[in-house]
Amino acid sequence: MSDPSGAPILEATGLRSGYHGITVIKGIDLEVRNEVFAVLGANGAGKTTLLATLARLIPSMSGVLRFLGEDVTHTPAFETAARGIGYVPQEKGVFTDLTVAENLTIGGMIGDRAVDERMSEVFELFPDLAVLRNQVAGTLSGGESRMVACGRALMQDPTLLLLDEPTAGLSPLYVDMFFEKITEIHRTRGVGIILAEQNATKALQVADRVMVLSLGEAFLVEEAGNLTTEQLKEGYRI
Amino acid sequence: MNLNWLDAFLITGLFSVFMVIGLALLLHLQMGLARIANFGVVGFWGLGMYVYGVLYVQVDWPFDDPWRFLLSALAGVVAAGISGLLVGWLIADLDEDGVLLGTFGFATIVWILATTETALTKGALGLGGLQFPYRLGNAKQNEALWLLILIVVVALIMLYVWRVHRSPYGRLLVAVGGNEPLAQSLGKPAFRTKLGVFTVGAAGMGLLGVMYGVLERFLETSNLGVDLTLAAVVGLVVGGTARLWGPVVGVALTVGLFDIVIQSYIPLPKSWYGQAIPVLREMVFGAVLIGILLFRPLGILGDMRRDKLMRSMHGE
Ligand SMILES: Nc1ncnc2c1ncn2[C@@H]1O[C@H](COP(=O)(O)OP(=O)(O)OP(=O)(O)O)[C@@H](O)[C@H]1O
Ligand SMILES: [Mg+2]
Repeated sequence: MSDPSGAPILEATGLRSGYHGITVIKGIDLEVRNEVFAVLGANGAGKTTLLATLARLIPSMSGVLRFLGEDVTHTPAFETAARGIGYVPQEKGVFTDLTVAENLTIGGMIGDRAVDERMSEVFELFPDLAVLRNQVAGTLSGGESRMVACGRALMQDPTLLLLDEPTAGLSPLYVDMFFEKITEIHRTRGVGIILAEQNATKALQVADRVMVLSLGEAFLVEEAGNLTTEQLKEGYRI
Repeated sequence: MNLNWLDAFLITGLFSVFMVIGLALLLHLQMGLARIANFGVVGFWGLGMYVYGVLYVQVDWPFDDPWRFLLSALAGVVAAGISGLLVGWLIADLDEDGVLLGTFGFATIVWILATTETALTKGALGLGGLQFPYRLGNAKQNEALWLLILIVVVALIMLYVWRVHRSPYGRLLVAVGGNEPLAQSLGKPAFRTKLGVFTVGAAGMGLLGVMYGVLERFLETSNLGVDLTLAAVVGLVVGGTARLWGPVVGVALTVGLFDIVIQSYIPLPKSWYGQAIPVLREMVFGAVLIGILLFRPLGILGDMRRDKLMRSMHGE
């Protein structure tokens, strides 16, 4: 399914963003095609800020953002979401007052396919969720919440999925399972994935290409197989 | 029809109970679902009432009722709705405390305007010259019919709230209230949704204000204090929002106790009604609010999880 040579799904040119006038993302150029694109970087490198900017949840200070060939630099987040950008934040990815099933249903508000059909696909991918369907999401464990957040984003039938450290703080068993699921989502559904990760080893196993983010700048962009430990260390500033 | 059982006290008492039920139901949409802590209920209510009253009395209308009434009343509702839109937009980025203060501040502004713009509102003297949009016969019959119309309006409000509850729109409101940034990424205009429910709620509160003004036929600035907001909040909190009947039961227990049971059925010296009872009412409402806050550490909003209702919706 990976087709890194195809047309870009998402393109950013000179993208800058941050908080309260302070620049965190300092001019990023990026082209993501139908692939698994990993964004690696140390704590505070700006991974979360970059993904939130791509999801249009943080306004960009300058630069251009294009999704499926159209300029979305100033498009509201709900509209880019409706056009096919699914976003799973690092934290607070579920609606705590709603049940698991309601979280999924609400993800399915957009799109044409029947909600039940999409939901059973999510349950196929994450069988645990079928068992938990009537549990209030606020009472789920960390790993279960991640599955719900991911499932909710998939309910939107996205073209591109932004995953912000989906396995942070999870037990090794969960981590392995999650990375398998990420590959599966990309392979079977043809969804492009941008994956922010600290865990370089794991990310490199599933990614086609990698960007190492360092202090808000793209230290390098490389085929996953070609990345050397030295490059990684330098990018992580260790 | 024999209306002997219904005296003026009972009419105002029943009117007040149904009106506060309506306010609490609208507040439930804003606070219970969308988590907008509206502590300015009386502001939207009072703005509706005064815009209606001032237009009805002060404008030289080229025609008489029912048009004179309908247009003034409509203007009151629209004014309340627009103020809801503006206030909602202004408080959009504030945290819970800011929303609380902002809405409370709005209600204070309405009170100050009504008190100081004496050329229009007659200030503390009160604005008279209002009348029912129909003439049935004696005052009691007119009032009884108006009470009946209010009950119908409140029933319609309840039907609306019930429908919102069951709809995807209601679920979106809960989502936006719980986690607005995340709700943005659902592909629906989250902010507009939230603003919409606040505006509709404010307009509904304005309508209830207009209706109260018609019943009293005399507008007093003393009605614009915090009492009414407190009554709606206490009713909502006491009844809880786990069920749609929560606000109804809560208001009946609190406002009903004072405005109907004590007012009409407990033989108290008439002189108490003016001062002692209203003061006691505020004290009890305040105590009830504190009690609930103390014994429900989640606080008012935390306590307004509507999960049970949502659960029953999904047939669990
Ligand atoms: N809301 C905010 N307001 C101000 N500064 C912020 C905010 N969020 C993040 N920052 C700053 O922006 C920088 C980048 O943070 P970001 O969360 O994007 O890093 P990250 O790469 O996702 O880190 P981690 O791996 O720890 O999640 C940090 O220096 C952080 O302090
Ligand atoms: Mg992060």
